[in-house]
Amino acid sequence: MSKLKPPISGQLEEEFKAQSPMMEVWSMFCRNITAMIGLVIVLIVLFAAIFGPTLYPGDPFEMVWAPFSRPGEEGYLLGTDYLGRDLTTLLVHGARVSILIGLSAALLTVLIGITVGAVAGYYKGWVEELLMRITEFFQVLPTLLFSMVIVALFGASLPMITFAIGVVSWPPVARVTRAEFLRIRELEYVTAARASGVSNFKIIFRTILPNALPPIIVQAALMVGSAILFEAGLSFLGLTDPNVVSWGQIIGSNRQYILDSSYTVTIPGLAIFITVLAISLVGDGLNDALNPKLRKR
Amino acid sequence: MSLSAENTPDNSTINHSTEPLLKVENLTVRFSVNRKGLFGKKEYLYAVDDVSFDLNRGETVGIVGESGSGKTTTALAIARLVNAHAGKVTMHGEDFLALEDEDLRRARARCQFIFQDPYSSLNPRLRAEAVVREPLDSLTTLSEAEKRESIDRLFAEVGLRHEQQRLFPHQFSGGQRQRIGIARALATRPDLIICDEPVSALDVAVQAQILNLLRKLQHDFGLTYLFISHDLGVVQHMCDKIAVMYMGKIVEYGDRLSLFNNPQHPYTKALLSAVPAVYRRRGESTERISIPGDPPDQITKPAGCRFANRCPMSMDVCTEDQPELTNITGSHRAACFLTQ
Amino acid sequence: MPALLKVENLRIELNTRDGISPVIDNLSLELYPGETLSFVGESGCGKSMTALAIMGLLPDKVGRVAGGRILFNGENLATASNERLNEIRGNDISMIFQEPMTSLNPVYSIGEQIAEVLRRHQALSNKAAWSKAIELLDAVRIPDPQSRVSDYPHQMSGGQRQRVMIAIALACEPKILIADEPTTALDVTVQAQIFDLMRDLGRQSGSAIILITHDMGAVAEMAEHMIVMYAGRKAESGPVQKVIESPRHPYTQGLINCVPHLLAELTEERPQLAEIDGIVPSLKDFGRDECLFASRCEFADTLCRSQRPPGFDFGDDQIAACWRAGEIH
Repeated sequence: MSKLKPPISGQLEEEFKAQSPMMEVWSMFCRNITAMIGLVIVLIVLFAAIFGPTLYPGDPFEMVWAPFSRPGEEGYLLGTDYLGRDLTTLLVHGARVSILIGLSAALLTVLIGITVGAVAGYYKGWVEELLMRITEFFQVLPTLLFSMVIVALFGASLPMITFAIGVVSWPPVARVTRAEFLRIRELEYVTAARASGVSNFKIIFRTILPNALPPIIVQAALMVGSAILFEAGLSFLGLTDPNVVSWGQIIGSNRQYILDSSYTVTIPGLAIFITVLAISLVGDGLNDALNPKLRKR
Repeated sequence: MSLSAENTPDNSTINHSTEPLLKVENLTVRFSVNRKGLFGKKEYLYAVDDVSFDLNRGETVGIVGESGSGKTTTALAIARLVNAHAGKVTMHGEDFLALEDEDLRRARARCQFIFQDPYSSLNPRLRAEAVVREPLDSLTTLSEAEKRESIDRLFAEVGLRHEQQRLFPHQFSGGQRQRIGIARALATRPDLIICDEPVSALDVAVQAQILNLLRKLQHDFGLTYLFISHDLGVVQHMCDKIAVMYMGKIVEYGDRLSLFNNPQHPYTKALLSAVPAVYRRRGESTERISIPGDPPDQITKPAGCRFANRCPMSMDVCTEDQPELTNITGSHRAACFLTQ
Repeated sequence: MPALLKVENLRIELNTRDGISPVIDNLSLELYPGETLSFVGESGCGKSMTALAIMGLLPDKVGRVAGGRILFNGENLATASNERLNEIRGNDISMIFQEPMTSLNPVYSIGEQIAEVLRRHQALSNKAAWSKAIELLDAVRIPDPQSRVSDYPHQMSGGQRQRVMIAIALACEPKILIADEPTTALDVTVQAQIFDLMRDLGRQSGSAIILITHDMGAVAEMAEHMIVMYAGRKAESGPVQKVIESPRHPYTQGLINCVPHLLAELTEERPQLAEIDGIVPSLKDFGRDECLFASRCEFADTLCRSQRPPGFDFGDDQIAACWRAGEIH
């Protein structure tokens, strides 16, 4: 008992294939069946959004047949709508816009939310007070109304719709981020980084943020779903670019015929429902996989 | 004992000159607490109150105390990780508390920290090598090759294998994680290392490994430690001089032998007698002094001695006046009217 | 005098990722009224698991008693129904935990929490339960119990909360009190108070105490008998004085010598601390037919690595499960 030997430990030996925390989350996620189903659906929708227009070429606004031909009749898989347009083509082209808006609005939401939440949570004091009051201001706004005002004032282009959705949905992300920052900034490894002379900027974005990400990722995933719903709501109300087709817009334009030809509304509605549900499942799965309390026992 | 290490560095000739490495004078740290609603008067909790001591090169000074005594806050304030309200911390003749930017970074490289909890002191997303690299990146101007070499050497010094550099913190045991923390603290070759309860979160069997390692490193590199702990056994084993803190104040200060063999302050005596004895000999030789109750509310500072309400030897003067830290023999000092 | 609690060849299995592991492997013990028995060992050695098994609180679906008996006054708790266990828990066997901060419910006053136990187990009326609660707070030396009884947990210090936990544990005058690291989260002066309290209460009520700890000092001060656990097995057991003064198992020796104990007469000399290399083996290795300590032991030879050591008797009830215990001393 005199020499300082490196500690021996049998069990570490086999773990030398350094598994990163992210890999562990992935293997955890793979074990969750419902989440995997969700992921498969999301991937199919993504595939349709990306490659659909190549598989179903043609102008979705083109009248191809008589209006209101039922699904499966006359060789049109999902039938035609009130203007005789092919619903399949509409749906596939609409997927692109819905998903694009969903993703970009969620991205915008997360960017605003993380920045506000991170700065508020890290610096505390009056900075936090100010930022959180602003957050609360945005939180109490009636979201749909506010985004309608933005779109009505500045025009219904896709970037403006994305902006309108993003600007009203970031407060929850900011709150989650702030809460995580408040917790993590007190942990010793953050103090250790300060003792090592790491700059504030690096501590926020390189030390704390990666550790704060799990709940933010979950929020962001759910945000994609709600942004798709939001866009559907706006286009249902007609507040959308009439030259691009989206799922909400298909529903909106066919809404008068809901009693006679319900499939024209139901089919795009189901597309939204299934997609948002799948995204939620993925979000839930991520939540389980990222939550350290549920991780291996 | 293998402390007769093979590599004797230049600064192991411990410099017993008069100039201490670190001089802490009247350090005070306070936190604001808003007690009475939104418009209430701002009140302060004095976590560290007028604390002074010196640290000589190559020496280990321990600060011992119970929770709420301010020992950790003292350490954090000295390392500039918590803002001091008043006082002066001099290192290498520079006022450490006044440094900013580049000067502060240079000074930080000379004063590093080992943390209590090896589970929360390592960023879970960084590989072990990246943890050790962090201070090298921010505080030094070494080239990439030099940094690589440093990291390899540091891993060897703390008893970790080269292959373990690529692992993530969760793949290490508690003791090994603390070794990574030590390697990180050693990275910039600091003069002073502040150890904040470095073993209290570890399993008993692992504590010895870390304590032995710290002593070996001190011997090899002529390190100076400020050692914070609540464990009197550990402090007795590790420290050359000990400061006992109670509610933000140093109540007794002395070198190892004189403080443990001849404690003066009633609180020190009570603290020592409260430690359960493993061997019957100490159990029989120490008289048990029990102190009832808990420390008083820290926000309302008492006029007299802070220990007065729990002290078995309390006198009238104790509740009226604050005892100063006064010399007893040599460097042994106590803040108690009984010893004055 | 018959044993109050008798554990015979207890085996507890736990489901893990790598299969089934015996977290407690062939453990036997006897506990007599008024006696204090201590479990010592590093974390992950099965100390707490034994306590949970006695309480019938093994984690559902994950752990189970796979063999042996837990006899309390002759009744086998390992096969008892949940209703019966509920009756015994609180009434006959109580437990206090390490973390006094989280083991009290923050939304009820401490008086309500103590009274609740009394009403449930002793069928006392509200009023009687409340005044008994005040009595108990007084018994655990909380100053001014009349007014503190309606305090909420956050208004008390850690030591006071632990004393409230003890009051709750003692509410029904249990025959056995299991204390799982009761003072680990507390300061040493408070620890001394809690130990005094537990000793006095044990003496007054004749309760037996099982103290789970990693601190040899606490064992030496509190217990008469001790069991050193390693990797789910009994490494050494016997009377506290004898085991501490002449430990036979290298693990026991290591546990005693690796801690810098406070010395009565301090000298300049500062020897290096003894080290126990490595860490406790992982759960999946627990059942192996070998000495599980061999990988960390400087005395280990081929026999140690190929066969599980039985307990060797060293007189006075001191038993060490080590092939070479006779040679090393």
